[in-house]
Amino acid sequence: MSHRTVNELKVGGVMVVLEEPIKGVIELKNYIDGEWVESEASETRDVVNPATLKTIAKVPVGHREDVKAAVDAAKDAFPRWRRTTPLSRARYLMALKQLLEENFEELGRVVTMEHGKIIDEARGEVRRGIENVEMATGIPSLMMGYNAEDISRGIDEVLIKQPLGVFACVAPFNFPFMVPLWFMPYAVATGNTYVVKPSPWTPLSMMKITELIDEAGFPPGVINLVNGEVEPVSEILENPGVKGVSFVGSTKIGRDVIYKEAAARGKRVQAQCSAKNFLVVTPDADVELTVSSLMSSFYGNTGQRCLAGANLVFAGDDQGFMDKTLGVIKERAAAIKIGYGLEEGVQMGPLQAENRKRRVLGYIESGLEEDAMLTMDGREFSCDPYPETCFLGPSIFEGVSLDMTIAREEIFGPVMSVLTAENLDEAIGMVNSSVYGNAASIFTTNGGTARRFQYDVECGNIGVNIGTAAPMAFFPFSGMKDSFFGDLHGQGRDAVDFFTENKVVIQRWP
Amino acid sequence: MALVLRTTSQIMGHHAELERRSAEGYRALAERHPEHRDVFNRLADENQRHMARVERAYRLGVTDAFEVGFTPNPLDPGDYTLEEFSGESLEEDVATALRNEETVIRFCLDAAKTSGELLPDLPDTFDRLVRGKRKRVELLGSLT
Repeated sequence: MSHRTVNELKVGGVMVVLEEPIKGVIELKNYIDGEWVESEASETRDVVNPATLKTIAKVPVGHREDVKAAVDAAKDAFPRWRRTTPLSRARYLMALKQLLEENFEELGRVVTMEHGKIIDEARGEVRRGIENVEMATGIPSLMMGYNAEDISRGIDEVLIKQPLGVFACVAPFNFPFMVPLWFMPYAVATGNTYVVKPSPWTPLSMMKITELIDEAGFPPGVINLVNGEVEPVSEILENPGVKGVSFVGSTKIGRDVIYKEAAARGKRVQAQCSAKNFLVVTPDADVELTVSSLMSSFYGNTGQRCLAGANLVFAGDDQGFMDKTLGVIKERAAAIKIGYGLEEGVQMGPLQAENRKRRVLGYIESGLEEDAMLTMDGREFSCDPYPETCFLGPSIFEGVSLDMTIAREEIFGPVMSVLTAENLDEAIGMVNSSVYGNAASIFTTNGGTARRFQYDVECGNIGVNIGTAAPMAFFPFSGMKDSFFGDLHGQGRDAVDFFTENKVVIQRWP
Repeated sequence: MALVLRTTSQIMGHHAELERRSAEGYRALAERHPEHRDVFNRLADENQRHMARVERAYRLGVTDAFEVGFTPNPLDPGDYTLEEFSGESLEEDVATALRNEETVIRFCLDAAKTSGELLPDLPDTFDRLVRGKRKRVELLGSLT
């Protein structure tokens, strides 16, 4: 399916559903030591396309023994992989990058099928994943240490960056292609070996990546894939062979399980967690640019991203500006086309699963109980001809205050809560009152306002006239407070540091 | 609801469709008017290259962080449809080809504007295509 044109299926000039790359029901296996092998667990769960409700795969629930085997294979592969030169390691990644490009369209469609996001978003996710592979191919330069000559007469000091061994990643459902690539390329580029455990809700993207890893010819054991739910995660956290863990998911799991359990065993941890992102709009903002960004931030990916807009704050006590801007937002939100992400023209797909929709519905109920005004009710929508099970329309709550549950907790769905602040100080105070510190954006045409915001706001990723402040691969995906646990973030130079140990050599030659 | 082009993917798709149909038309003209076979085949080849260039720009620039699905100014594909060639004479066919080229140019200009709101990397690509297509118009005009 490589190199397909973007839209090959049309009838009479009208777009129809793009061809699905997954036919039938795939029985997922693990990839350990260069071989596709059955899980030790006999039980499986269905992987369901949330738009059509068709089962597209069966994934094993996983077993500790699967992880043990993967870690053993990775440990065995480590000494030789570490001695493979950085340039050679980079060439494996270049081969992988080439294969990912050749399969770009298929990979995007797989993301849409298992997650539900629209095809543009899925292709965007694939692109951002590939960018991390590209970034990691620069490892011969990125991994360089530094030195100082004559720290004392005739004595030199050198810093060397060395790999540590086996690393693992526990990936989330919402970016099944991109998130494993935030970590794995850097880990193997720096000479470590790796175990990936994808989300059991969306395991197919990682399976496809692994097929290409195999095709690229990585030596056995360098990269391993283990499917499953809780048991494999427990083993990753407890196995002494695992030197570090990367995690993306909820704060509850990231802080109370991953960070706590892994750190207690001396492992390195980077746990990127929940968010409650504030988007602040000042009366001097460019309405057209602002609204387009807000639509994408709040409703893109059906609100299921840790950088999604959650609270919209109008700062500056300008009722006329707020009414005008909200009017345009409501008009655009009402026109959003909801449906299957592989259908061209669809702007918002389903939630990834029925239970996620139920969770969002619970928050809508909570907002109503706490007397917020539901001025756009996402429970009323049409996704014809698809089953409504996982779909939800865009919602807008007005009259929201910070003490309300919907203003404090992560909803992870297409819900906008509108708050007001008298001035920028109050708006910044609202942002900083959150326990989370993942992202925040300001929309303004005043440079001083923007600088003030980026200076004072306690969040890791800041947008200025950008609704979704997603760092590129060559920058760390930051995060603060209850949105991140660890020291070094994913992506960029942080990733290189996370996956290497600094060794200092002081030498004198007689 | 009438079909409108509201997402980046749709705009790319409609552009690809226009280039594909344009290429098919020129291949047919190459058969019908053998004295200009090389010119028409060259134009058809160029259509393929234009399609590939836009698709490449999209694939290399697409990211979920921008407004890929939410253009405030959707395009109506009905405003950009290509005419069939009558085949009655070279003059008639060239006149149709010129009108079709102008339609594609108009689409590229509108797509440049709209796609800029969706994906900042794309407008330059469409603008470059327009420059190339203006030369095609000159070439076609010289055939009759």
